[in-house]
Amino acid sequence: MDYKYIEQLLESYFACTTTLQEEQILRSFFSQEDVPGHLAQYADLFNYEASAKEDTLGEDFDERMMALIDSAEQKVEVVEPKTEQAKPRIINLATRHFAPFFKAAAVVAMALTIGRAAEHAIGEQEAEENNNVIAVDPYIKSSDVRQAIRVKDVSQAETKAINDSIISLNAKDEIQ
Amino acid sequence: MLKYRLLTPSNPQKKNMDFKHDILPLKNIIFRTALRIALNREEAEDIVQDTLMKLWERRNELEKVENLEAFALTMARNLAIDRKEKMDNQHVSFDDEEHDRPDEGMGNADNTLMRTETRSFIANTINTLPEKQRTILQLRDIEGKTYKEIAEVLSISESDVKVTLFRARNELKEKILQKKSLFL
Repeated sequence: MDYKYIEQLLESYFACTTTLQEEQILRSFFSQEDVPGHLAQYADLFNYEASAKEDTLGEDFDERMMALIDSAEQKVEVVEPKTEQAKPRIINLATRHFAPFFKAAAVVAMALTIGRAAEHAIGEQEAEENNNVIAVDPYIKSSDVRQAIRVKDVSQAETKAINDSIISLNAKDEIQ
Repeated sequence: MLKYRLLTPSNPQKKNMDFKHDILPLKNIIFRTALRIALNREEAEDIVQDTLMKLWERRNELEKVENLEAFALTMARNLAIDRKEKMDNQHVSFDDEEHDRPDEGMGNADNTLMRTETRSFIANTINTLPEKQRTILQLRDIEGKTYKEIAEVLSISESDVKVTLFRARNELKEKILQKKSLFL
């Protein structure tokens, strides 16, 4: 048998001019049982090259790897409940942001109540004035004073209630 | 990991990466290449784990990667070299172990004693080559990769791959001829 072709391929192999296919031919050639003496020295090299690719990781590696991937995924899942825990805090923050508006609303309500109370008082005063057309002067005077006190009482009581609600709002904020 | 995912703009056209289907099959080529650099099976296995894990963490970027295998091998090689440098700094005796270890890694028990002996001679000879040479030899002669692919993995030119492979193959040839002359 003529080994010129193989000898040529070998020369090319060591000159790094062989193609992948030619290198595969060399490995196939040296995998046979009887390689001629003068080429036998290279048999181990090409047989090693061919067999080294069979070195693989076992099934147990896959199991360990999948467990690693799963635990990494679980870590991501652990982060998610944390963000859910933060959700009530977000609502709290919202309450905190709206607190000044609640205060403003309370002030507006207070002003309106006082205004209405004053209006009401004036209306009553006018009515009383109308009623007291026939009444004696000293009575009018005393009822005027009483009415003024009443107006003052009402507005004071309402203001106190509003102030209380503001205090409780502030207290709530502090707790949060 | 989560942060990274949020920063990466999601492409609606992208194909979702599946770990078992797209990444896990790379394990063996990564393992053999890492083993060629680390010269230690446990170390090589750790490198495979780290590489696959990193790939999975960066799965949203991988759709832009043209050659996932080359990308993975580059990653594994960098990891292996980093770890080896750290090991070399830690253990002064690592060089002594280096020559003992390839046997446990590269030997094949099912061959005859004679074959195992000569085969481990080849393995040992390859493993005493400089890292760049033995990695290129691994990728070309064992994994059957093209010069282009190898150049991509090592981030060097194709001619640089050829020159390095030339040195590796001829060093092997020399050692084979030396051994033969010793026995004659």
